[in-house]
Amino acid sequence: VVAVAMGTEEESFSPSEEETERWMCSAFDMAKDALENGEVPVGCLMVYNDQVVGKGRNEVNETRNATRHAEMVALDQLLDWCRRSNLDVSSVCKRTALYVTVEPCIMCAAALRLSNIPVVVYGCRNERFGGCGSVLDVSSADLPHTGNTFKCVSGHRAEEAVEMLKSFYKQENPNGRLFFLFL
Amino acid sequence: MEPQTKRWKGSECDSDSWVAYPVLSDERSQDVELIEAFAAPIVNKKETSRLIRELSGLYPLSSLQHIKRVRAVKEKGSPHPLEVLVCLVSDAPDTRAVTIRSLLPSDGPQCDGLGEPFVVKVPARPPLTRPQFELASKHWPTSFHEDKQVTVALRGELFGPSQKSHMREYMLSALTAAKAGHELGMEAVGAVVVDPVEERIIAVGHDCRGHHPLHHAVMVCIDLVAQSQGGGCYPFDRYPACTFNPAPNSDPIPTDPDTEASSQPYICTGYDFYVTREPCVMCAMALVHSRVGRVFYGTASADGALGTKYKIHTQKDLNHRFEVYKGVLMDVYTCRESVDHVLRKSC
Ligand SMILES: [Zn+2]
Ligand SMILES: [Zn+2]
Repeated sequence: VVAVAMGTEEESFSPSEEETERWMCSAFDMAKDALENGEVPVGCLMVYNDQVVGKGRNEVNETRNATRHAEMVALDQLLDWCRRSNLDVSSVCKRTALYVTVEPCIMCAAALRLSNIPVVVYGCRNERFGGCGSVLDVSSADLPHTGNTFKCVSGHRAEEAVEMLKSFYKQENPNGRLFFLFL
Repeated sequence: MEPQTKRWKGSECDSDSWVAYPVLSDERSQDVELIEAFAAPIVNKKETSRLIRELSGLYPLSSLQHIKRVRAVKEKGSPHPLEVLVCLVSDAPDTRAVTIRSLLPSDGPQCDGLGEPFVVKVPARPPLTRPQFELASKHWPTSFHEDKQVTVALRGELFGPSQKSHMREYMLSALTAAKAGHELGMEAVGAVVVDPVEERIIAVGHDCRGHHPLHHAVMVCIDLVAQSQGGGCYPFDRYPACTFNPAPNSDPIPTDPDTEASSQPYICTGYDFYVTREPCVMCAMALVHSRVGRVFYGTASADGALGTKYKIHTQKDLNHRFEVYKGVLMDVYTCRESVDHVLRKSC
């Protein structure tokens, strides 16, 4: 049924307000669920063609790999999904939006650029590590060899996202030193 | 390309012709910023301590704690031996003609003993390195709290011959891995992770982005280190040059968490990374998250984040910083190329 001229459609690729509302609602549900289970309260999903192709939660603890942020896990799922669906990764990425409750960190922002994800919708700022303006602005920086810049839509239910992070950090952290690595 | 997979010996090059230079923060590597001030000759040397005391009360120069108030005049035959800083030009009262009288209020320090003021340029900030100190002192006497290690590092003399031979060995392993990756169609980037205390290689990896767009050599090595600690999430078995050595003391299971904190290896804490070329933003930040000890790389890269586009290892807001050295084994990179090319590269 979809028969839109590719050129113009690609340039204007951006989620509608209705889509933003709906997918951020799912991301916040994920974050709440994580908080209730004593995990990092960050919800993150990647949506292509109105379906979730990647979903992530922080896996630093169990993998002992400090780069296993929710976004990186979700990107891996997207790759697997492309392989299973026999679709070209870069053409899927070009039309995929990331919805995440907290601003991606510098590493994840660079990873999103390298993956050519065009748009990121996030809730609150990440004052410690944020890569979409809070610490560095990797999302729009002039880095011609680091994929493409991406558009950010920020502030969606920001206070709620901050409150979840606060209550998480207030909890006694059973893993002590992993404390700093969560975002 | 070369027909065999033997290790690069680099034997045609002098093993000591490369120098590992520190990649310092912008504050440490930038030029000396100067600010204009009024100075005046001390006509009567005996008045010096009174003048300093009274001028310091009137113009404390609290932002210039690193500046000495008085300097000796070096030129022979000068009618006065000393000059004193009166105030910053920006702090001076707004008058058309600046005289020593216009700078000092009538009820303040007595201007007898001081000659007419003139403008000097003084360093605006305390020097952080010896080169900055030497430049600053040319303008006005400046005090300097020297970090001896930085001074030695900037001279390229931080690492002695035995350390350099270890560094050479590690970087050659990284180059060998880079070559192996390149033969599989990946970008020619390799990395080696070392425990510098035990002088032990923990992991060797190369770029694998042909199969996963984010598997840069550093990311591969971070996961191989995780695997050495019983974690990790990617199978790299199909790349024979990507290897890790399991942590030797993965047992016994500690009873209290404090013991665990001290005895068990924890992500990349304290480990050194040797990377053939400067890491990108993603990899540089991954090294921050992994709490790496030091990073050594060979060549700079266009979007590099440890010196070229950013210096993420010196970023103030981040909760972990580390030392970075560049230029390791540059002779192996360059000695195969023409002299012209080497010279052009070094300019
Ligand atoms: Zn992240
Ligand atoms: Zn990289």
